[in-house]
Formats: sequence, structure tokens, C-alpha cells
Amino acid sequence: MSAEPIDPGRTVEDPPADVPEADRRLLERTWEYASGLWGWLAEVDHTRIGVRYIATALIFFALGGIEALMMRVQLARPENGFLGPDLYNQVFTTHGSTMMFLFAVPIMLGLGVYLVPMMVGTRNLAFPRLNAFSYYVYLIGGLFLYAAFFLNTGPDAGWFAYVPLSGPQFSPGKRVDVWAQMITFTEISSLAVAVNLITTIFKQRAPGMSLNRIPIYVWAMLVTSFMVIFAMPAVMLSSLMLALDRLVDTHFFNPAEGGDALLWQHLFWFFGHPEVYIIFIPATGIVSTILAPFTRREVFGYMALVLSLVATGFIGFGLWVHHMFATGLPQLGLSFFTAASIMIAIPSGIQMFCWIATLWGGKLRFKTPLLYVLAFIFTFMIGGLTGVMLAAVPFNTQVHDTYFVVAHFHYVLIGGAVFPLLGGLFYWFPKMTGRMLSETWGKVSFALVFLGFQVTFFPQHILGFEGMPRRVYTYLPETGWGNLNLLSTVGAFILGLGVLVFVGNMLASMMSGAPAGDDPWESDTLEWSTSSPPPPYNFQYLPTVGARAPLWHRSENQPVVVGLRSDRREFLITGMLDADPDHRQVSPGPTIWPFFLSLGVGITFIVGIFTPWGLPIGAVPCAISLIAWFWPRGDQGHHVLKEKKS
Amino acid sequence: MSERPVLDVSGLPTTAFGHRDPLWWGLAGLMSIEGTMFAIMAASYFYLRGGAHLWPPAGTLHPGLGITTLNLAILLASIVPMHFAADAAEREDLPKIRLWLIVATVLIVAFLGVRIAVLQRLTFRWNSHAYGSLIWTTVGLHTLHVVTGIVENLLLITLLTKGPVEDKHMDDMRLNSMYWYFVVACWVPFYCIFFLDPGLLGASAG
Amino acid sequence: MILALLLPNWIGGHSSLHSHGVQAARIENLWWLMFWVCSAVFVAVMVATGIAITRKTLPSGPPGPIAPQSRRRMTRVVAGAVGVTILTLFVLLFASVSTSRAVASLGAPKATVIKVTGHQWWWAVEYQDLNPSRIVTTANEIHIPAGRPVLIQLSSADVIHSFWVPSLHGKRDLIPGHDSAIWIQADRPGVYRGLCAEFCGHQHAHMDFLVIADPPDRYGAWYNAQLASSTLPATPSQQYGRQLFESGPCAVCHTIQGTDANGKLGPELTHLASRRTLAAAILPNTRGNLGGWIVDPQSLKPGSYMPANNLKPDELQAMLDYLGSLK
Repeated sequence: MSAEPIDPGRTVEDPPADVPEADRRLLERTWEYASGLWGWLAEVDHTRIGVRYIATALIFFALGGIEALMMRVQLARPENGFLGPDLYNQVFTTHGSTMMFLFAVPIMLGLGVYLVPMMVGTRNLAFPRLNAFSYYVYLIGGLFLYAAFFLNTGPDAGWFAYVPLSGPQFSPGKRVDVWAQMITFTEISSLAVAVNLITTIFKQRAPGMSLNRIPIYVWAMLVTSFMVIFAMPAVMLSSLMLALDRLVDTHFFNPAEGGDALLWQHLFWFFGHPEVYIIFIPATGIVSTILAPFTRREVFGYMALVLSLVATGFIGFGLWVHHMFATGLPQLGLSFFTAASIMIAIPSGIQMFCWIATLWGGKLRFKTPLLYVLAFIFTFMIGGLTGVMLAAVPFNTQVHDTYFVVAHFHYVLIGGAVFPLLGGLFYWFPKMTGRMLSETWGKVSFALVFLGFQVTFFPQHILGFEGMPRRVYTYLPETGWGNLNLLSTVGAFILGLGVLVFVGNMLASMMSGAPAGDDPWESDTLEWSTSSPPPPYNFQYLPTVGARAPLWHRSENQPVVVGLRSDRREFLITGMLDADPDHRQVSPGPTIWPFFLSLGVGITFIVGIFTPWGLPIGAVPCAISLIAWFWPRGDQGHHVLKEKKS
Repeated sequence: MSERPVLDVSGLPTTAFGHRDPLWWGLAGLMSIEGTMFAIMAASYFYLRGGAHLWPPAGTLHPGLGITTLNLAILLASIVPMHFAADAAEREDLPKIRLWLIVATVLIVAFLGVRIAVLQRLTFRWNSHAYGSLIWTTVGLHTLHVVTGIVENLLLITLLTKGPVEDKHMDDMRLNSMYWYFVVACWVPFYCIFFLDPGLLGASAG
Repeated sequence: MILALLLPNWIGGHSSLHSHGVQAARIENLWWLMFWVCSAVFVAVMVATGIAITRKTLPSGPPGPIAPQSRRRMTRVVAGAVGVTILTLFVLLFASVSTSRAVASLGAPKATVIKVTGHQWWWAVEYQDLNPSRIVTTANEIHIPAGRPVLIQLSSADVIHSFWVPSLHGKRDLIPGHDSAIWIQADRPGVYRGLCAEFCGHQHAHMDFLVIADPPDRYGAWYNAQLASSTLPATPSQQYGRQLFESGPCAVCHTIQGTDANGKLGPELTHLASRRTLAAAILPNTRGNLGGWIVDPQSLKPGSYMPANNLKPDELQAMLDYLGSLK
């Protein structure tokens, strides 16, 4: 059976005026959000879950920022007494772990959860219940880490927890176990989202959205998802090995019994390097997306940009040893990783040149999102260039583990990911809330953030040259590092103020911002063709796509898909290459089982840090939840082969 | 802006098989993730082996080439009834699916029993040395997959007995078999890596 | 910025941009090459961006794709920029590899070999010699002959540390189970500060050491003095101090050759008074500092493994008299 095309040349008799309206009301009832606490816990809508991801990640961002300010206060003067070594070690470990695992990756994936279904023209993600589950697991992981932190059991061996320091002998107690399990939670969450995004992008695109018409942001999320799938198992395995070494005396990392401390580093960084591209690549997708409406041009070099994304994804897996240049590995091997680490600048460079070319040809509107893109270009260039320098082994051996590296990675992570993210939040806020952010306060917060960032982190390059190592809770006055540290601290507070103003803008505008309408920025991607905020079913009639920037190629009579049922939740499954319609998928409505399963998973892993019996104990609620989740109720309208036995 | 219907999809089916079904893609994702994990486990084995003076450590005896190979054979044999179950699902022949799932489950349980016997014959535990940690952890992870395979089969057998069974479940049956092939395939390289390791074969006493 | 680079030179300044060793000098050259090349790239990109955002464009119609001839021109420019990028990166790659080889080529037959073992949070130093009676054991202070390559063998007694003397050479990690070695050389006599550069626990921030390069004759004299057994007490107070040391908890962790104290858990103290610093180079070696350290190490290095010592005032003075005599 195939879809029936309606001859576009034939003027279809317009259906009677009230049918679309009645249809819409039916659709609204079918896709209605459930209410109350049960409704909140049972939610499966991607926009609502996406907003939860973003809001939760922003809260963790604030917590991580407070930790950063605490560190900066301690380091502002030599031999300062604000934080002793034990608390400082917990703070810097929690800062890094929060920013990497609880903020950066979840917010990028969460934004994808929100946007991707709309951008490809469908109603929800492929696996809505898995989406809900992945959010709860993430939340549990974050709460677990912070509960431990506030109970003075926060991890204190650094966000990459090198053994043997993080092993059973030198880190007694449960601190590092908390860290290892937080990893497990957040990785399960991210892996689930990745599978969801890939399936949605491949199988649910609007008819006509062939591969070469996919928005660049969607390509970025596709590449990111593949990277998640192949990188995260490495850290899941290594954190499992560490947990086993600590809990049941295995010897994966114990050199006395055939284990190897370097095995940890290889496994961790095999994940850890792709991890930073998992954070960066979505940001490049945001940049490509913002440039279009604010230059009133399609982004220059679609093919080059897409191929650069894919190349970055692949090459990113071949760099990990550049985190280990000081470990004494053979020189020939190290040179290979130098070459790869330098080579990855090529696709990044291509993207940069394409973006500048887009600016060159465009009619610019200097609104806040574009300002963040410009800040990104400036800041990420510096971070990327110091990255190329760090790829050189001899130079690396001088600045590795110093503040030069701290400066580098904040330049690429804040400049390369957070600036585009802030621009993206500003850009999509109207779609999410139906209201515009204040442009004036947007510019104020931008100035504070940009200036504060430079004042905080630029001096740290110099501190690295002056010999200041990382992860020190204090330093001697005679080193002379005091003045630059003080300057850096001042910058940190300015940056913090900027973030505060940004958040304040968001909160105030949610209540009293100007109404946004469907498409306040004159954008080109499909999410702007529906209302702000979008209805639960996204589009009353699924769009079809005839060009790369669909909203800039619209005509008066938009071609749409009809025939999906409105009395149950349905969307369209299409072919992978050319998005031709294939079949209709029935989608689940609200259900509480993903939440219960996440509790089961939580029990398994939290009890698991105290006793290996956690696994069988936790397996019971997990099994019950999974069975209840999948057991058919026969109410989805499929053809029944065997009736339920009464 | 008004809209103009160009495509009427009401005639399309609501089920699909193989890679047309999004669930296939979900499962492919899961297999990629777990496959990567097992691959990294194997890489860790070779990494530690490469750095060791004596591998396996002194005093390690082979649990028995005969029994381990027999178990591999049982595991490989379980593919056959799972394949027939998938075929029956394509034909919507419910009683046959159930029959073959039961046969498969019996074989898998037998595999598990023999595996326990193999583990009892090991002269080391997970906390004896890194070699022991690798073997026990890998076997443990794989056994987890075998157990979930058994549970999944039992659930499907129950569903086939009690109903309601819908046409869409036929694809679920086929995907279940596909996942089982994956679980079997994951073990094959580890059988070779662990039990055909020249160092261990040289220390054979079983 | 230049001013910030002019550092005070207290007991060994440490900056990788003030190189005093042939390897650090090569690395510094590599840095300046990369700095100028990357700065040029940065300026070029910023200028291009600046022009892009300030140039006048025609009034726009509806938003849409870039015009074909603009696109063709852009493509040529972008392709050219990519080509320049690739060439530049190859230049940097070549510079990096050749610097690597130069740095690794340092070495000499019959060089001094020093084994450094990292501990939480101090450095054990043992000069290697085939003749066991010529092995010198000390801690936290390494003397080397100036102008000659020296081989440093690195291992760790507990967690990962990193041996780093910025003025002389890049760092190398001390990894349990992975012994390693690097050659270093100080071009001129001087005092060069080193520090631990891998997070190793509570007092990672206070785990420094000194590398003191001496002219060959001074180095030889120092070495022979270190070979001697500990100074015998000359006054009753020193005798009392030595007695306290041998019979008290000190002997559990520390060694003073020629006495009954041969603990191996803490730094060797045979020639403590000949060292310039205490507690892994964080305190100048003065009587007052030593007294404060002995009585309450936790106030200076909280979390370190040396316990407080509740000594009566006369006991402390005797101990300081004795330890101060250990030249």
C-alpha cells in the first residue's frame, strides 16, 4: 500500500470550513497533556520534556557556576583560608563533573529533544516513553551527586578521577563511588536520547525532506548522537571497572596484580575526547541555524558544513592520547595523535570560513543571538588555536596540567558551546514560551558575559606559563601568581552577573514579555511554521518539504499531508533517504512506567554502591516497570490475531 | 497561510517489518552500544595482556576445552529455534512461534547451567588478579544478557498463551530473535579470546 | 602582559618562558613560532569577520539563498583559505615533530643517574651508583652538575604524580607500575624550582622541589658531603635531641644514617641542615620554620601524613639543636 498523492494540479475542493476546525479539536483532545502530579510524571511530549531538560540543566549550570565562584574566591589570594584542601577538592571535582555531565551534554541533547521533531516535521520523537525515562534517570543522577555533596561525601578525585588516587586504597569511603554511579545514570540517559534522535531523524522526516534538505542543526544532532553511541560505552565500562575495583576487589587498575593505571586513562579519554565534541557539535549546529535569519541568507556551504560535521565526528575518536602526552608513551605513537589533533582543525576551519562567508553576503540584524555568534567566532578561534598548540607534544609537556589548559578548555567550551547556547536560548525562547526576551537586557547580559569571560580566562594562559598547576587549592605568595588570580576572580564575578541577568531576563519575560507570534525572527526552519508555544501535536497537518530552507520557499497554499487519524496518536514513518511515506505509527500517550523504571534503575545503582546485591534487588522494580510498560493493552487499534483470554 | 493537501496517507498500514520499523532502529542502536562495550572489554583484555609478564597468571588452569566448546555449541544451536520462531512470526503462525520459543528457552537454560559448571571449575575469582577480573566481569555482563533473553522469551511465550496478540507483535517477535543472534555473536569472540588463548591452553589440565 | 612575565626569582623562579636548559629553550622557541603563526591567523580571521559585518550590502529583498556568482566567488575564497590552513598546520606539525626529536636527543654516556620516587606529598631522591657505598639518598632537593645531561628515573610509591621543572624541561608523569625516565640539563649553575603537576590528593598544592645546578667541583664536594654519615652530636643539647629523635615517633618514619632511626615512610633526614627548604620546598629551612613544622605539620600541610608532635619547649630546642647540626 502506498500513499495516494493528490494531483497538485487539480484544485482540491476545499473541505467544508468547519472540518479542519473540528478535526483540530479532536486532535487536541487526543494529544492532550495529562494534568496533575500524575500527569507531570507520566508526560511523554517531547517539547515538555525538552523544556525540563533545559531548565534542569540550567539549574545545574548555576550550581556549577557557584562552585566556580567559590574556587575563584579561594584562589584570589595566596594561602587563602576560604576553602581547605578537602572541601576545595570536592568543589573542583563537583564543578567539573556538574558542568560536563549534568549541564553541557544534557542541555545540548535536551535542546535537540525539543527541536528535532519539529525541525523534521513530525509530532513526537520515535520513542516518547524512552525520552521520559531518559530525563528521569538524568535527574536522579544529578540529585544523587548533589545529595552526596551536601552530605560531605562529594567526589574529590577530579572530574576524570585518575587511578590509583580514585581507587580503593587512596580514596576510601563512598565519594568516588558516588561519582562512578552518577556517570552511569547520565550516560544511560544520553545514550537513550541518542537512539531516540537517530531513529527520529532517519525515519520520521516530512515527505520531501531528503538527506540534502535536512537542516544543518539536525545533521549536527545526528552526528552527535552517533558519537554518543560509540563514545559513552567506554566511560560506562571504565566507571564500572572502577566501581568493581572499589567494591569487590577486582584488579583492573592495580599494577600489583596485572592491572594498569594507564588503562583507566585510555578508556576515560577514549570517551572524554569525543565528549567535548558531543558538546561542541550541537553548538555549531546552533550557529549555522542562527546565522540564516540574522543575515537573511541561507548558510553558505551546506555540503561543506555537513561533511565537516561528519569528519569532525570521525576524527574526534582518534585524538584521545593527546590528554596523555606526559605519561611517557612511545614517541612515534604520540606523533600520530599530534597529527590527528592538528588535522581536526581543518573541518573546524572549513566551518568557520563558511560562517564568515555567510556573514559577508548577508544583511545583518545585530540582535542578541547574532552577537553571541560573533562572540563565539572570536572566542572559539582563540581556544581552537591554543588547542592546535597543545597538540604539539613538546609544548604540551610544558603546559599540560597548568592553567594554560584550564584557559584553553574554557575558551573552547564556553566560547565554543555556551555562547552559541545562550544565543540559541535567546533565539528559541519565543518558540518555547510564546514571548520575546527583552533585547536591551539581552545586550546587557551579553556584554557582561563576554567581558567577564575574557577577564576571567585570558590571564590564566599567562598563569600557566608562570608555572601555576591545575587543581591546587592554594599557592605560595612568593610565586607572584596573586595578581593575575585576583583579576581572574573579578572577571568570574562579572561573568556570573551576566548569567544572572540572562536568567532574570528569561524569568521576567516569561511573565511579561511581548507576545511572539509564530515566527518573530523570519526564520527558515519548520518549527517556526507552527504556533508559539507549539500545540502538543506540533502540526495539525504534517508539512511536506520541497527545498532546504522550507519556510523561505513557501507559497500561499502550503502542501501538507492529510490522512493521519486524529482520534488516536499517529504520525508518519518515512524512508531513510528520500523521506517517502512508508507507514503510520501509533504513538503512546502518557504513562507512569518510565518514571517507575527510572526509580528502579536508581535503586539498582544507588544500592549498588553499598553492596553488589543492589543488582538483584533493583532488578525487581525494573522488571515490573518494564513488563508493565510493554505489556499490550490491545487498545491501539492494531489488527488482533489472538484475543485476550479471559 | 492556508494549506493544501497533497498527500493522503490514510491508506498506509500501521505496522512494518525490519528496518522500516522504528523499533528495529532502536534495537540497532542498543546493539551498537552494547557491541561497543564488549569490543572495549576485549580491547582492555588485550591491553592488559600486552603489559603482563605472564599471562594468564601462574597457577591458572583451563576449565576444560571440551566443556567450554560444548557450551559454545549449545549457544550456537539456540539460534536455530529462534530463527524458526522469527519465520513463524512472519507467517503469523502463533502456535509455532510459541513452540520454537520454548525449544530455544530450554537450550538457553541448558547453556546457563553449563556456564555455571564452567565457572565452578575456574581456579580463580574476580578478585584474584586482573585476568580474573576480566574473565568474570565479561562473563557476568554476557550472562546478564542471556538472563534477560530468557526472561524476554518467557514473557513472549506468556503473551502468546494469554493474548491479546496483535499483528504488530509479529515484528516484536522477529526483533527478539534478532537481539538473540546479537547476544550469541557477542560471546563467540570471547570464547576464542578466553578459551583459545595459547597461554591458557598451554596450562590446560581439564 | 610583558610585565607579568618578569617574575620574581625567589628560591628558584619557575616559568617555562625563562628557560635555563637546552630542552626548555627548544620548547620555548617552538612556542614563539606557534604564537606568531597563530596570532597571524587570528588577526586575519578577525579582520575578515570585521569586514564581513561592517561592509555595506544592497538592500535586501526576501531572505533566500546566496546569488550564484557570489557563491562561486565565495567558494574560491573559502577553498583558498582552507588550502592556506592546511599548509599552515603542516608547518606547525613539522615544527612540533622536529622539536620532539631535538628534545629527546639529549643524553650522554656515563651521566649522573638519579632515581626520583614520588610520594604523597614529597620527593624521594636516590643517586644511582654501581658501588652501593656511593649511593646518596636525600629528599626534595636535587643537585646536578651544571652543563651536563642528567638522567632522572621516575617512579611512584603511591598515586600518579608529575615531575616538572619548567625552566629546564617539560613534565613527565610518575605512574605506579610504569617506571619512566627523562634526561634533563641545566645550562648554567642556578636554583630551579620544580613542582608536582598531577593532582595527587590533599597536598598536591604543596609538593615542590628544588633542582640546584652546581659547577662540577662544587657538585663533587656536595656529593661527597652527602655520602658521609650523619654529624655526631657535639653538645649535650644535641645529644639529647638525637636521643629524642631515636626513641620517639620520628624514627618510625625517618632515617638518619649512623643513628638508630631508619624509618622509610618519610623523607631521609641525614643531611637536613644542608637543604635550603623544608616540607617539599614550601618553607625556607630556618630554625623557626622547622620548629613550627615539627610541632604542628597539619597547620601548614593539612592532610599530610606527619602527625603533630607534642614536645615540651626544652625538648623542642634540643631537637632543633640536633637537626640544625645535620649538615
